[in-house]
Amino acid sequence: MTAPILQIKGVTKRFGGLTANSEISFDVAPREILSVIGPNGAGKSTLFKQIAGFINPTSGEVLFKGSRISGLPPHKVARLGVVRTFQETTIFRSMTVRENVVVAHHLRSKASLLGFFFGSGQARTDEAEFARSADDIIDFLGLQSIRNEMASNLPQGHLRALGMAIGLATHPEVILLDEPFAGMNHDETMRMVALVRRLRDERGLTVLLVEHDMPAVMKISDRIVCINFGEKIAEGTPSEIQANPRVIEAYLGSEDAAIGM
Amino acid sequence: MALRLIGIGAFLLGVFVLVPVFIAVTGRWDFYYTLTSVALLSVGAAGVWLTFYIGRINIGQGAYALVGGYVSAILVMKAGFSFWVTLPLAGVACALISVVIGLPILRLRGVYFAMVTLVLTEVARLTALALPVTNGAKGITSIPLPGELSILGLTIIPDFAGLANPKLAFYLMGAALMALTYLVLWRIVNSRLGHLCRSLQQNEELAASIGVNTAMLRVLAYSISSFFGGIAGAMFVAISQSIYPSSFVVTDSVNFMLYCFLGGLGYVFGPMLGTLLLYFGWDLLSVAKQYQLLIYSGSMIALMLVLPNGLLSLFDKKESRQ
Amino acid sequence: MEQILANGLYLGAQYALIALGLTLIFSLMNVLNFAHGQMYVFGGFVTYTVVAQFGLPFIVGLVASAAVLAVLGGLIEKFLFRPVIRRSKREESTMLLAAGIAFFLDAVILLLFGEKQRGVPKIVNGVFNWDMRIIMPYDRILIGILAITLIVSFILFMQYSRTGRAMRALAQDRMAAQLMGVDVDRYSMIGFALGAMLAGLVGGLLVTITGINLGMGGPTSVKAFLMIMIGGAGVISGAIAGGFILGMMESVGLTLLAAYGDITYLVIFATLMVFLAIRPQGLMGKPWG
Repeated sequence: MTAPILQIKGVTKRFGGLTANSEISFDVAPREILSVIGPNGAGKSTLFKQIAGFINPTSGEVLFKGSRISGLPPHKVARLGVVRTFQETTIFRSMTVRENVVVAHHLRSKASLLGFFFGSGQARTDEAEFARSADDIIDFLGLQSIRNEMASNLPQGHLRALGMAIGLATHPEVILLDEPFAGMNHDETMRMVALVRRLRDERGLTVLLVEHDMPAVMKISDRIVCINFGEKIAEGTPSEIQANPRVIEAYLGSEDAAIGM
Repeated sequence: MALRLIGIGAFLLGVFVLVPVFIAVTGRWDFYYTLTSVALLSVGAAGVWLTFYIGRINIGQGAYALVGGYVSAILVMKAGFSFWVTLPLAGVACALISVVIGLPILRLRGVYFAMVTLVLTEVARLTALALPVTNGAKGITSIPLPGELSILGLTIIPDFAGLANPKLAFYLMGAALMALTYLVLWRIVNSRLGHLCRSLQQNEELAASIGVNTAMLRVLAYSISSFFGGIAGAMFVAISQSIYPSSFVVTDSVNFMLYCFLGGLGYVFGPMLGTLLLYFGWDLLSVAKQYQLLIYSGSMIALMLVLPNGLLSLFDKKESRQ
Repeated sequence: MEQILANGLYLGAQYALIALGLTLIFSLMNVLNFAHGQMYVFGGFVTYTVVAQFGLPFIVGLVASAAVLAVLGGLIEKFLFRPVIRRSKREESTMLLAAGIAFFLDAVILLLFGEKQRGVPKIVNGVFNWDMRIIMPYDRILIGILAITLIVSFILFMQYSRTGRAMRALAQDRMAAQLMGVDVDRYSMIGFALGAMLAGLVGGLLVTITGINLGMGGPTSVKAFLMIMIGGAGVISGAIAGGFILGMMESVGLTLLAAYGDITYLVIFATLMVFLAIRPQGLMGKPWG
């Protein structure tokens, strides 16, 4: 295995007396698609927030390419190349699709804010570059037809794609997807599975996702990490996870009983 | 683009040529004072508007106007500075203070931020009352009119005391300041900085996740806002040649906010229009004597009932609400 | 020391009552009622008119203040806030409306009652003197007790009456309350009327002691904002705590800081800034209101 791009080392998070994550450790290899699964309330979202810098671990650390990113604010984590997408409602509502994607190119700007204010040459180069790259991303995600729609007018499926476009606009190396398949029917899910694969294959991204939809997870993941009650109970390939008695127990003991095959 | 240039040209022509001509013809010299006030108040309102642009309701602009006024008055009276030097210094002082105050309070949102800023105006007034340098309730009076401003011996602005018509001079000065302020504001809004402010207004978490340093951007916007408040205050003091702790009070802060809301928060020129209508309207209503406030507030309420999203929302593009 | 505490309690009871009304309106409708101070002044003038002009007993004046303000509050909610809230895109629009109403009430007060400071004769004479440790006029004690009684009745009302429970449900979660079958419009109106009534009652109580004038509206609103920031906006216990804390701070400050001039409020504001930097939601508020 090549050197991991992301390392989660003994991450623990307590809220008051409640332990949301306990001593979670795993590595993510470059260009890997890794899913974090677990029953509701297992602590998946908390783990995600810690990787993206939205909350700090109580103890333990997160390393990106060997250097520590836990404890940094989200904008610095994003600057280094680790970005998260949110569930669908998190977009800039009063902007068009294209404006959303263009503004999300913030990290790519070389000109200073003052430069943008006075419209310096660099600023104009940047803006042209953002526009080109935004159109590129919009095409990649197949959003051409709604390019100039106001984001607040979009249906759910498009909102999620837009959220992904915003994430891509930062040109990350690692993208964290928060339940990308939630609420989708079979066809939509299959399209999204194909899209996530393309993120890796065509744009060279490492993808980390949190998901409930087991069939999709099994289909898409290189490896899976399973969490229950805040602890990692299993890690392995989809077939290893499906056969793991602790995973089966965790899911049988909860409401979403069946691990779809 | 051509349309925009025509618009700007018409605006400048109206402000700098038509208004003085109109006043000269009608002999309503008192309009100069009113219109100068409108121009300066709209400079302060521009700041409040910018704070709104990052999603914060600012009811504390009166505080910065007061601070700016005092900074200018003290520098002129005690340190013998030229007014023209103190004008930018008043803005800078306000910007610096707002950084210190903004760092903690900009973490607050919604009504909480609004309330704190409202209280800030009262703090400024009490500070002015308590400090020795501001001369307490007696204030600072008999401030000389702005002197000559010259660079390399070339007179750019003549000595106001030697002018035959200082009212016109103040009007032109105020209008120039206003034009400059709105030029700056317009550039901010239409440049990357403005786009980032909008992203902050609409979703702070998402803005952070795409790499925007939200804390820094909030403080930056707030300090620009306070800079505008400071220079507006300093100009006012130069006109009235005096300043007291009660020169800018809570009502003024609330008014600054109202100017923005009335014009419409989605438009750069909203605060200018709002200031003109409210302040000028208030002035014209003085013929109604004791019913002035009643008519004024009554029409404000009526306007809210008809156009709850501001005057300029008449020209709104369709956007579904949810 | 005892004197300071007694003064603080007396002030705090008035303040808490004002803050309760403001916080009730805020929690039900997410409206920051800028006109709260004006409602307080209005209530004071109603009591003044009934007692000093018509020569009726104080208690009649107090009831009149409560009734007039409750009706006024109900009308303001129904005909002004409700339509604007329904149609506006931003919740901030209500601030403009509230400020407009504050100016409007100022205008009405000016026309009806004039600019002069008004007061009513003392309702009880004499001064309570405990060993020179606590000295307090009987009328202040009476007003203090009345205020505390009102606070307790308000809490009991909110806790145990059907209306009170419905309003608490509404404050907690508007949507859920609606689903549970709470008539949102009706209880918003009742809540606003109740909030205005509380402001009017305090005005009526205080007119006997400090008197009332047109200029008291704005500063009263600012103080009320302070209190709910200290306690946490939209929380009943927070409003009461905020009121008593501000009353105490003022009482302590006026005694201890008197030597340094009139800086009590400056110190209170500075403390508040630091406090809010550490705890933005106030003592008992929910984060981000």
